Amino acid sequence: MKVPMKWIREYADIPADAETYMNKMIMIGDGVEGYEALGAEVENVVVGRVLTCVDHPDSDHLHITTVDVGGEAPLQIVCGAPNVAAGQLVPVALAGARLPGGVKIKKGKMRGEVSEGMICSGQELGVPPELYPNIWEKGILVFNEDYPLGADVKPILGLDDTVMDFEVLANRPDCLSVWGIARETAVALGTEFKKPAITVTETGKGDIRDYVKVEVEDPDLCPRYVARVIDNVRVGPSPKWLREYLFGAGMRSINNVVDITNFVMLETGHPMHAFDLDKVAGRHVIVRRAKAGETITTLDGKQHEMQAGQLAICDAEKPSCVAGVMGGEESEITESTRSVMFECAVFDYAATRLTARALGIRTESSGRFEKGVNIRTPLEAMQRACQLIHELDAGDVVPGVIDLWPDPVPEQVVTGSCARIARRAGVDIPPEDIVRILESLHFGVKREGDLLTCTVPDFRQDITVGEADLCEEALRVYGYDHIPGTPLRGETTPGGRSAQMRLRDTASGLLTGLGFCEIMNYSFVSPKSVEKLGLAEGDPRLNMLAIRNPLGEDTSVMRTTLVPDMLKTLALNINHGNETALLFEASTVFDPAARTAENLPSETRKLCLGGYGKAVDFFTLRAVCERLLNALGVPFTAERFTETYLHPGRAARLVSGNETVCVIGEVNPDVRDRFELTARACIAELDLDQLLRMQTPMGTVKPMPRFPAVSRDLSLVMAETVEAGPMLRDLSAAGGSLLEDAKMFDVYRSPVLGPDRKSVAFSFVFRAPDRTLTEAEIGKAMDKILKLAEEKYGAVIRG
Amino acid sequence: MGIKETLGHLLETAQQELETIRDKQALEALRVRIIGKKGELTALLRGMGQLLPEERPAAGQMINEAREKFTAMLEARQEALRMIERRAALQKETIDVTEPVPPLPLGSAHPVNLVMAEMVDCFTGMGFEVVEGPEVELDHYNFELMNIPKNHPARDAQDTFYVDDNIVLRTHTSPMQARTMLSRKPPIRVICPGRVFRSDEADATHSPVFHQMEGLVVDRDVTMADLRGTLNAFAERLYGKGITTRFRPSFFPFTEPSTEVDLTCAACHGKGCRVCKGTGWIEVLGGGMVNPHVLEMCGIDPTVYSGFAFGIGLERIAMQRYGIPDLRLLYEGDVRFLGQFR
Repeated sequence: MKVPMKWIREYADIPADAETYMNKMIMIGDGVEGYEALGAEVENVVVGRVLTCVDHPDSDHLHITTVDVGGEAPLQIVCGAPNVAAGQLVPVALAGARLPGGVKIKKGKMRGEVSEGMICSGQELGVPPELYPNIWEKGILVFNEDYPLGADVKPILGLDDTVMDFEVLANRPDCLSVWGIARETAVALGTEFKKPAITVTETGKGDIRDYVKVEVEDPDLCPRYVARVIDNVRVGPSPKWLREYLFGAGMRSINNVVDITNFVMLETGHPMHAFDLDKVAGRHVIVRRAKAGETITTLDGKQHEMQAGQLAICDAEKPSCVAGVMGGEESEITESTRSVMFECAVFDYAATRLTARALGIRTESSGRFEKGVNIRTPLEAMQRACQLIHELDAGDVVPGVIDLWPDPVPEQVVTGSCARIARRAGVDIPPEDIVRILESLHFGVKREGDLLTCTVPDFRQDITVGEADLCEEALRVYGYDHIPGTPLRGETTPGGRSAQMRLRDTASGLLTGLGFCEIMNYSFVSPKSVEKLGLAEGDPRLNMLAIRNPLGEDTSVMRTTLVPDMLKTLALNINHGNETALLFEASTVFDPAARTAENLPSETRKLCLGGYGKAVDFFTLRAVCERLLNALGVPFTAERFTETYLHPGRAARLVSGNETVCVIGEVNPDVRDRFELTARACIAELDLDQLLRMQTPMGTVKPMPRFPAVSRDLSLVMAETVEAGPMLRDLSAAGGSLLEDAKMFDVYRSPVLGPDRKSVAFSFVFRAPDRTLTEAEIGKAMDKILKLAEEKYGAVIRG
Repeated sequence: MGIKETLGHLLETAQQELETIRDKQALEALRVRIIGKKGELTALLRGMGQLLPEERPAAGQMINEAREKFTAMLEARQEALRMIERRAALQKETIDVTEPVPPLPLGSAHPVNLVMAEMVDCFTGMGFEVVEGPEVELDHYNFELMNIPKNHPARDAQDTFYVDDNIVLRTHTSPMQARTMLSRKPPIRVICPGRVFRSDEADATHSPVFHQMEGLVVDRDVTMADLRGTLNAFAERLYGKGITTRFRPSFFPFTEPSTEVDLTCAACHGKGCRVCKGTGWIEVLGGGMVNPHVLEMCGIDPTVYSGFAFGIGLERIAMQRYGIPDLRLLYEGDVRFLGQFR
C-alpha cells in the first residue's frame, strides 16, 4: 500500500528521515517495499511572473519573455509554449536547475537571443495531469492561485513529499489503511497516534428512511451494512490536498463525492460506495444473492453475467453493484447527481474472493474485503465520510443512519502469563514492558501479578490464539534483535538421513563418480511426451494424474516415468553441441490408479540414466546399472526384453528373483525421431523404492583362501544366436561346487569359423577350501562344462 | 713368487679386469676363470698338496680369503652392472609427463541437491532426522492443519495446483510438520527436504517446481531463542564464520510469533554490496514458533509442549551460492552448466 508521508504525519509524528522510518517499521513487522521521494529530481524551480511576452524575430513559434522571479532584475527567457502570455504566474527553472530525467538547465542563446532559464510544463516537472487538471494543459503550467515570486514550486506542486510503499502482512488488514499505518508508526517511533475527532454536521432535511429503504436478505454474506444519505449533492472537483493524497496513494481523482469514498477507504480501510439515489429503482436497496443470468454493467463499462449465489447490491428491479467488488455504471455519481447513498458494509471475505475471481475483477475494494474488513468499525468510517462531505461543502448530510448488524460481535478479551510470554519469546521481557507495549498497541490491559487480561482493540482481527499473539505483539515491539541464540536443549535425538535418502546418496555418489551429471525436471509433463514413447494401449504409464488448473498443456499431468524428460534433455544437449552427455535423474513418479490408504495417488521414486556419445553404448550403461546393483547387494541376471521405446535388438532387463529391477537399452530410432534425438542414445530406468526394499547389507567377510586356485580357459565355437549370458550361467552351474568363478572374456568372429558363428572365450577358476585340487578333479569338472556346452548350446571347442 | 704375492697379483688383475666389464657374460667368464672348476684360484687350492704340511693351513686360509674377496668384488660389480642396466631401462621408458591427458568424464550432483546435502549434514549433526512425505498431498495437511482454512487469504499467496477439491500438489514442505506431529511424540527434531509446487510461470526467479526444506522441533520449553541459536549454527556452517541471522517480524498462519530470517550477506560480510542491495542482509528463510492451534490440531498439548518450525528455499540458496543468474538453468539439464558443480 502506497501512502504519502504527509498523510501519515496528520495522525502520527515521524521524527525521522524516510530511510530510518522505513527500517523502524520493518523491524516491528510492517514491511516496506521501498519509498519514493516525489520531486527528488527537481531542483531550483521557482515561481515567476511573466512581465512581457513578444514574438521572437527569427522564429515562427518562439517567444521572448521577461520574467520576474523575485530577483533584482527580471530574467529574459525564450519560451516555445503556445500558451505563454504576459501576466501569468509560472514555474521557472533557473540556470543550474535540475528536472526529471537528468535534465540540467543552463543559461544559453536561442536563435541569437539570450535565455536565462526555462518556463516549465507539467510534463517537464513530472507533474501528472490528473493532479492539476485545471492548470495542466498543452504548454506551460499556469498557476491559478497567487504565490510569492521566487518561491520553490515543489511544495506548491506536491513534489516535496515521500511516498512509502508498505507491504502489509496477510494477518494485518487493519494496516491497509492510513490510520493503521499511523498507529504502527506511533509505536515504532514512540510518538502518539492522533485520530481526528469525528463530528457529523447534519444539514439535510428529514430522515434517511424518507429517502431510501435498505434490506439485507443474506446476512451470512453481508453481516453488517451501514448507509447514510447525502442530499443536495454538489459534485465538483476535489481540493488540491485530497487530489494529492489520492495521487500519492496511487488512485485517480474522480470528483469530490467519489474521492471522499476512496479517501475514507484509504484512511480507515473500509471500502465505501456511493449510489446515485435517483438511479436506484424504487429507492429500495436489497443486498441479496444474484439469480443466475442477472446481468450488470460495472463502472468500467463491462457487462457481466452474474452467477447464482454471488452477492449483489440490488435495487427493486436488478443488481446495481457487485458486492464489495465494483459498482454499477447505472448508479454512478455524475455531475447531475442530486442525492447520494453512501454504503459502508462488511462482506464475507471468501465470497468476495470467489466472486472477484469468477468475474476477473480485482479492485482496491475487493482486495480489502478478501483480506477481511473489520466488522466493528464501518460506522466510524461512514461518519468520517459524512464529516468530509460537510467540510468540503459537497452536500447536505441527511439525519439518521441505517446500520444493519443483526449479530454484533462482542468485545474480545484474551489472557496470558507474562512469564510464559517471555519464555516463548526466549527473551526476558520485563512484565512492565509487556504491559507498556500492549497498551501502546491500544490493548486494554489489566495485570494481576503474572496474569494479563487484555481487551483487544476493535481494529485488530488477528488476535485469535491468545497468549501466543500477545507474545508476538510484545516481542516485535520490544525488538526481535533482543532474541539471543541458544543451542537446542533437552533430551537428545539420534537424527540422521532417511533410508531412502541414504539410497539416493549412494546412487548419486556412485553415478557422479562414474561421470554422470544429475539433472532435475519438472514433475509434470505434457501427456504427449509420454505418448511419444509408443507404449501399448493399457500401459499403466499412460494413466497420468491430471492437474485441474495446469499452467499449460506442457505441464498438465504428473509423470509416470522419467524417460520422456531424459530423452528431452539428451536431445537438448545434442542440440547445444555437447559431444557427449551422461545424465541421471532421481525423482518421483505418480500412479493415480494405485491409491494409498489416504486415497492419494501412489508415489514411487525412480532413477533414470541416459547417455550418448563416443564412450556410451548399451554395454557401458548396463555395466553402470550392474555396478549399482552390486553396490546395493541386489543379485540379478540380464535377459532380453521388449520395451516400445527401446531398440528391439538392444534392450534388456535385469531381473532379481522374479522382479524386474532395471530396464535398459538403446533408444528406438522411431522414438528418437519423435524426440528429435539425432544421435544414438542409451537409457535405463530403475525403481528406487524397490531397490530400497531389495538391497541387502554386506554381512561378514569370507575367509581368505588357503589353497591355490587353478584356472582354465576355454574357447567355444557356437551359433551367433546363442546368448552368452544364460550360457555362462549354465556353464557355471555345470562346473559344480569346485568352480569359484567363471567369466566370459572375449568374443571372436572370423570367416574361418563360418558364417553366423562366433567363438566365445571363457575363463574358469577352480578352488577347494581345504586342499589343493588335482588335475583329475579339474578335468572332471571341465568335462561336465564341455558336455553341457555341446549338448545344450551346440558349442564345440575351437580347433 | 710366494703364494701371498701370487694371490695379491691375481686379485689385483681381477679387479682391473672387473672394472672394464660391461656385461653379464664377461662377468661369468671371469668368475669361471678365477674360481671355476679349472679356475686360477681353484688351481692354487688344488696345488696345496705340493706344500709342506705345516704350510698348508696358512696357505689354505689365504686362498680362501682371496676367494671371498674375489666373490665380493664380483658381486659388487654385478650389482653395479644391474644398476647401470636399470638406469638405462628407466631412461628408455621416459615419457612426456606434461602431455595433456584425455579427461575422465566429470560427474556432478545437481546444485540443488548439493545445497540440500550440506544442509542435511548440518541439521542431522544437531540431532534432526530426515523425514520425507508425499508431493501430491491432501488439502487437509497442506492447508487445513497448517491453519489455512478454505478461502483463507493466505491461500492466495500460494497459487496452488489442484488435482481435485481435496488433493493438491503441495505448496510447501510444511504439511510434513503435521504428518510428523501426528505420528510421533515429542521430542521431535525433523527436517523435511523436498519438492514443492506453485502455479508460477517460469522466469529468471520463479519456477512452478522448486525445493524447500522444512525444520520442526517440538519439546518442552522450546523458544524463539532456540530457533535463532539453531539457525545461527546453520548460517555459520553453510556460509562460514561471522555469518549470523537477523530476525524480522512476519506472518505465517502456522507460526506465532513468526519471523523472516536474513543472513549476513556472505559476499560483503554485512558491509553492503550489490548482492544484498546495500543492506548487508540476504533474505533466506521464514520461521517461528509453531502456532498453538496447529499443535492442538496435530494432537500435541500446547500447554505442555512448544515448538519452532522453519522453511528454507533451496533454489534461492543455490543461486546465491553459485551466482546462478537464471533459475531455469537448474531445470534445463545442459551438461556445460551441470558439469561445473563439484
